[in-house]
Amino acid sequence: MKSISVQLETAENQSRAARAGDWNLPFDSRTVVTGLLVFAAYYLGAKIGFALTFRPHPVSVLWPPNSILLAALLLTPVRIWWVLLLAAFPAHLAAQLQSNVPPTMILCWFISNSCEALIGAGCVRYLIDRPVRFDRLRNVGIFCFFAAFLGPFLSSFLDAAFVVINHWGQDSYWQVWRIRFTSNVLTALTLVPFIVSWSAEGIAWLGKIRRSRFLEAGLLLLGLLSVNTIAFYKFAPTADSALLYLPLPFLIWAAVRFGSRGASAAICTVGFLAIWSAGHGYGPFSTRSAEENALSIQMFLIVMSVPLMLLAAVIEERSKGETTLREREERISLAAESADLAFWTINFERKESWMSDNGRAIFNFGPDEPLSRELFLSRVHPEDRNAVDEAIESARASSQTFEFEYRLLRPDGETRWLISRGRYGYNDRGGIRELIGVAIDVTAQVKANLQLRLQREEMAHLSRVSSMGELTASLAHELNQPLSAIASNAAAGRRFLTQGSPEPKMFEELLADVAADARRASDIIHGIHDFVRKREGTRRLVNLNEIIREVLRLLHSDLLGRATFVEKQLDPSLPSVDADPVQLQQVLLNLLMNSLEAMHLTSTEKRRILISTKCEADSVVTSVRDYGSGLPEEDMDKVFTHFYSTKPNGMGMGLTIVRSIIEAHGGKLWAENVAEGARFFFALPVTRKSETREVA
Amino acid sequence: MVDDDQSVRRGLGRLLKSAGYAPETFSSAEDYLAREIFEGSICLVLDVRMPGLKGPGLQEALEKRGACEQIVFLTGHGDVPTATRAMKKGAVDFLTKPFDDEELIEAVRRALERAEKQLRRRGERREARGRVDKLTPREFEVFRFVIMGLLNKQIAAELHTAEKTIKVHRGRVMQKLGVTSVPDLVRVSERAGVSPARKPA
Repeated sequence: MKSISVQLETAENQSRAARAGDWNLPFDSRTVVTGLLVFAAYYLGAKIGFALTFRPHPVSVLWPPNSILLAALLLTPVRIWWVLLLAAFPAHLAAQLQSNVPPTMILCWFISNSCEALIGAGCVRYLIDRPVRFDRLRNVGIFCFFAAFLGPFLSSFLDAAFVVINHWGQDSYWQVWRIRFTSNVLTALTLVPFIVSWSAEGIAWLGKIRRSRFLEAGLLLLGLLSVNTIAFYKFAPTADSALLYLPLPFLIWAAVRFGSRGASAAICTVGFLAIWSAGHGYGPFSTRSAEENALSIQMFLIVMSVPLMLLAAVIEERSKGETTLREREERISLAAESADLAFWTINFERKESWMSDNGRAIFNFGPDEPLSRELFLSRVHPEDRNAVDEAIESARASSQTFEFEYRLLRPDGETRWLISRGRYGYNDRGGIRELIGVAIDVTAQVKANLQLRLQREEMAHLSRVSSMGELTASLAHELNQPLSAIASNAAAGRRFLTQGSPEPKMFEELLADVAADARRASDIIHGIHDFVRKREGTRRLVNLNEIIREVLRLLHSDLLGRATFVEKQLDPSLPSVDADPVQLQQVLLNLLMNSLEAMHLTSTEKRRILISTKCEADSVVTSVRDYGSGLPEEDMDKVFTHFYSTKPNGMGMGLTIVRSIIEAHGGKLWAENVAEGARFFFALPVTRKSETREVA
Repeated sequence: MVDDDQSVRRGLGRLLKSAGYAPETFSSAEDYLAREIFEGSICLVLDVRMPGLKGPGLQEALEKRGACEQIVFLTGHGDVPTATRAMKKGAVDFLTKPFDDEELIEAVRRALERAEKQLRRRGERREARGRVDKLTPREFEVFRFVIMGLLNKQIAAELHTAEKTIKVHRGRVMQKLGVTSVPDLVRVSERAGVSPARKPA
């Protein structure tokens, strides 16, 4: 049977090729071989059928040729069916002629048998698109109804009519119909699944099977044979009919563990043994008349085989579903891993939650920690928490998919950028069943973007930030000139003295120069105000809110780099001031940088700068408040004087320059200590409309 | 000494004078370049930050002129990239204002020493070159073969002439270049920058 199956399988492959359009010859060697195999099998089947005929009825209990033809039709492409019918005909003729059946009857039987196979195969092939297998419930259902029931049901009318017309045997029309119908149903149910499921896959799969499976199959076969021997052969015909249930556990074993292949083989075995024993006068089916015996054995086998085949199909379907599910899960995990995705679900009905492994790694959740919206929110950066919560809430209300970008603040202090998408799932009653979603770790992209933006803004940024330094540096240069001159003069004087050639006139000049340079140095220090003024660019009407926004944009990367959040309270109706915007930027940069430096010991979640503007009387007051170390109380008045610094490597010039700038603009700068930090204020006079015109 | 600040110029000038040098001060690089070239060893003390031509630019202009000034840079604050660039271009030192007087004088001394050495090398080269220029083209050819280490016979073969002729040429080369031995001849060739006829195999 196996060699046949290979051939049939090849024919099946051929048929697929034919559908693809590259196989046009109806007669190739495969078709011929398939035809010959059908011939041989049909002949052999007929011989078996005769052997299983309970005399004196003309119909066998099990008539294999019909089922062999049906199985062949199910396995081969429709276009070569006529070849198979043609091959079966001589076999039919050869088998029947030996049993002294009149030629007309032989021909009639062939017609009714072919009709049965064609009805069954045609319906099944029409309804099952893919290759016919008994591994799905739907397929088994279709097969049972159309091939095993409808085919014999319809063809038996024809067959019985032929028998009656030809006066063959003594049975009435309905008797013949009934006998033939049950016999063919049984044959179709037992033989066709066996042939189809064993031949469809070829024998290649046998090589891939583990040894333990072979062992199990052997045990099963042994058990089945011994139980059958006991039930149908050993016991006397009068024994308890409940013994008939003995093979059932083994049949279920076959169906559960070996699928449709195992079930069909086991049913075949049981059927063949039961019929053979009954035919030879043994077992429970040998007590009554031949007709009654045949009927009860047929009913017994039909009733047993249908549920078994359905069971096998269900089992296979489920295991296939499990495999598919597992494969899909593996694919999802692979995708999740390679894309750094976190998949998660929270089922509210079953109170279950699941998250992919790398998802748990991203969120820093424990491997078995149950997920909840609260747990998730606890990981979200405090500043993003409200927005995220609102997004989820509005998705729940509108039953739409939510998507948001947010930061994650993990317990280990690491910040990550994520994008989450998800939606609520609803049950039939409209209640919330689950929350499913996916989170993508975009930290790397965000950082890259940041880098890019940083590079793009680097020029502007550096020039602005360093213009403060530039100011200090040029101040240092100015100071260095007289200091260098003094030092040089002093050194020269000492050398002249040690060399013992002091020219009084030269010394007088030298000392006069030293005095002049010392004066110059002191003038520079006291004249920072003028110095700043000297460097002032063009003044124009500016809005401090705009300048603040611009400075914050410039400082964006510094703020991110130091994990500092800036809160703005900007008065939207702020009047303009007349000022040099570059110098005001420098003032703000200086104050903000001071704040950042003052907070370098503050913990990340507390790091915050509050920057506000408001209009008070005739001036615009801007304040910068930090949560840093604050100002030393006893030195409050020194903060704005020269060379005073609380920073380890500060020059103490920054705030002096800031004050100079503010004062050059006719404004005022002051500072105060507030709870957990310091606040710097500067006030600039509001420009009146009339003054504006003057300035312009 | 180039510095745009008069008091610095005066102070530095006095300091250098006290160390026994003869300082000359200029208020800009352009002023210095306008002065006629001084044929002696020079140390230039330059402020990095000055109006007009800046230190590195001046360095290039000086290279083009071909005098052999050595430069000591002064700067108001540590400007590392500029310092590195200047040092790579051959500046002797890079001092930060306000500087130590001893440090400056030491730097100036080193600069002048280096300038002198360079000047001497240049003189030698000019002298050697002058002597080599006196050779006839044929003698020059023989000279290049001799410093390759070839024997008269081999040179004769190379130039397809008699060994005796080569001997005469060789004698005249030695005479014109004022040397008596082949090693001296090689030394002259190195000083004048004459390469052997071929690379020795």
